[in-house]
Amino acid sequence: MIQAKTQKQRRKESKPAEIVQPGPGPRLAKSVKRLQRQAPLLAFQGLSELSARLRQMTGRDVIDMNRVMEFAQFMYKQQELMRRGANYEVDEFGFDPQWTESFLSMFMVLYRDYWRVETSGIENVPATGRALLVSNHAGVLPWDGTMIKTAVFAEHPHPRHVRALVASLFMGMPMLSWFLRRTGQTVGHPDDTRRLLERDELVLVFPEGVRGTGKSFKDRYRLRRFGRGGFVATAIRSGAPIIPVSVVGSEEIYPMVADVAPLARFLGLPYFPITPTWPWLGPLGMIPLPSKWRIQFHAPIHVEEHPPEAANDNNLVMALADEVRDTIQQGIYDNLKRRRGVFL
Amino acid sequence: MTPTRPYRVLVTGVSNPLGAEVARRLAPHVPHLFGCDLRDPISALEEMDFVHADTRHVAIGKLIRQLNVDTVVHLAVMVDSPRDERSIHETDVIGTMNVLAGCSAPSGRVRRLIVKSSQAIYGAGPGDPSFFSEEMTSVERPVSSVTRDLLDMEQLVSEFAVRNESCQVSVLRLGFRVSEDTTLARYLSLPIVPTFAGFDPRLQLLHEDDAVEAIVRATLGQQSGVFNVAAQGVVLLSQAIAIMGGTPAPVLPPYGRWIGRLALRALTHVDLQSHLADVIAFGSVMDCAKLEAELGWRPTYTSRAVMDALARGKTLEVIEAPSPPQEYELQVYLQRRRRNARNGQTAAPVLEAHR
Repeated sequence: MIQAKTQKQRRKESKPAEIVQPGPGPRLAKSVKRLQRQAPLLAFQGLSELSARLRQMTGRDVIDMNRVMEFAQFMYKQQELMRRGANYEVDEFGFDPQWTESFLSMFMVLYRDYWRVETSGIENVPATGRALLVSNHAGVLPWDGTMIKTAVFAEHPHPRHVRALVASLFMGMPMLSWFLRRTGQTVGHPDDTRRLLERDELVLVFPEGVRGTGKSFKDRYRLRRFGRGGFVATAIRSGAPIIPVSVVGSEEIYPMVADVAPLARFLGLPYFPITPTWPWLGPLGMIPLPSKWRIQFHAPIHVEEHPPEAANDNNLVMALADEVRDTIQQGIYDNLKRRRGVFL
Repeated sequence: MTPTRPYRVLVTGVSNPLGAEVARRLAPHVPHLFGCDLRDPISALEEMDFVHADTRHVAIGKLIRQLNVDTVVHLAVMVDSPRDERSIHETDVIGTMNVLAGCSAPSGRVRRLIVKSSQAIYGAGPGDPSFFSEEMTSVERPVSSVTRDLLDMEQLVSEFAVRNESCQVSVLRLGFRVSEDTTLARYLSLPIVPTFAGFDPRLQLLHEDDAVEAIVRATLGQQSGVFNVAAQGVVLLSQAIAIMGGTPAPVLPPYGRWIGRLALRALTHVDLQSHLADVIAFGSVMDCAKLEAELGWRPTYTSRAVMDALARGKTLEVIEAPSPPQEYELQVYLQRRRRNARNGQTAAPVLEAHR
């Protein structure tokens, strides 16, 4: 039991309150401190004034304030991510949505300004529920996956994260394995596809796999074999509609003229590309060319209307896989016709 | 006594913390409880008859037959051990073989067998699915010695289950535990944690409390088969290190896992086994849906909560302190008295109870 204390006792035992001193450091004048606090705001004000002046003088947007604001937002988001420490949750696949969204603004720059992607048919992507996006695969590095992800997140009225399936080869690579998992990708394993679809996610597959990315420049826009139609079987079993996606422009980012197979075998890679810039310019050769991209989402093919047992019917599965492949190929030809030139 | 309830239960490997806690929780549910191990138990349990026995000798079969047990809880399976690979192989494969031989004797009365296995059986690799179901073990790819031993062991157990249909066999693949003495816990508690450069895998853990609960429930339940037992959810390696208050240092080379292991041992004196090195590079997560469906129970701690508990230094306190020797002798004396009273003071102890 707690003993009641008299006022006198309490006064006797009490200690003087400690005054918390500010830590040692350079003492700044008040005006300097105020300036420090207001610096970002002042910088923005100055920059916007400058941009307005420049627009008056030249008649064009020399400094686009929206872009500047986006950049500032990106920096603030990064700061916020640093601040959360270990207090965040990832889903069971290792996906961290907050972290991914902070990076999407960086991919937005590529999407909008570098490749000037034109997206059509985004209304074919459902706002909720499961769906399997099936796309052609090209370019030596899988940039098309990031652009489809960015397209759905930026253009869709109900922004969604696309979960792409990647080759196990990339999951064994340092940096990439970490980055891909963190941004919601997972291994291209039938079991993983099923689980993601059962959680009503939007799953992206590239049935061509490395056969698509590793084809040479003269074979551009010719689809390779679509695996063994495994993606159709998985979609039927999970009751998910298939949405074919045609990507145009990804073939020209790294025009691959040759493949040094022995070197690739030695390094454990599926192919070792030779492009006009790689490996001659070293790391500079990794910079993709600024081709003009078009992404088209086609009308969904409702394979979920078939009963789950139909997944074992090889005839049906192969027919559906062919239908998907034809839709994508047709979409590629249409978009190539609509494009004025490779870089326009 | 109903035939479905365990009546006479033998717990092997009872002297390690997990076994001791299982025995302590089983004691109120079981009329006769026996325990065996090489070492002295870390705490004396009055309801349990303790026998010094080595599962690596054939005598363990004799013990099972003589004690007339109907349930065997086989926990003498080493996974995370500082000992050499040879002794792990002896304990896991040969030990289990001897226990199975005892259970399958012609007049065997064993009706239920619980075998402890580990998540290490799946190994870890870049091409693995994100979740391991019970049937996804593979022998093809290069595996660590512990994985190979566990595969051998489970092979023996499944063969036994096919041959003895009257015996319900459950194999529990326990997730990685981080009580204070496991290698993974010591690794994660380092102030500066060397990790493989460019890898930040998902970790799935299991709280000691949940591991015990799973074994006890499996012993008292009616199910049979192989079960994954691990916490829900995952933590990233970097997240786990941050929870422990350490700093991840991505300095180990991303290729050549054995170089990383050697470097880690030289830097920090933590000897990470090869299967654990794979786990902290690629991660390994199990799907525990079957456990939940058939046992109607799932681990209460999430992986995150397990890490928080470790960070607070509040992992399950199995035993307060090792009992002093006098107390141990007293317990043995009481046990003998109790047994003699039960047997009408005639029978000599079936086996020497102590030494």
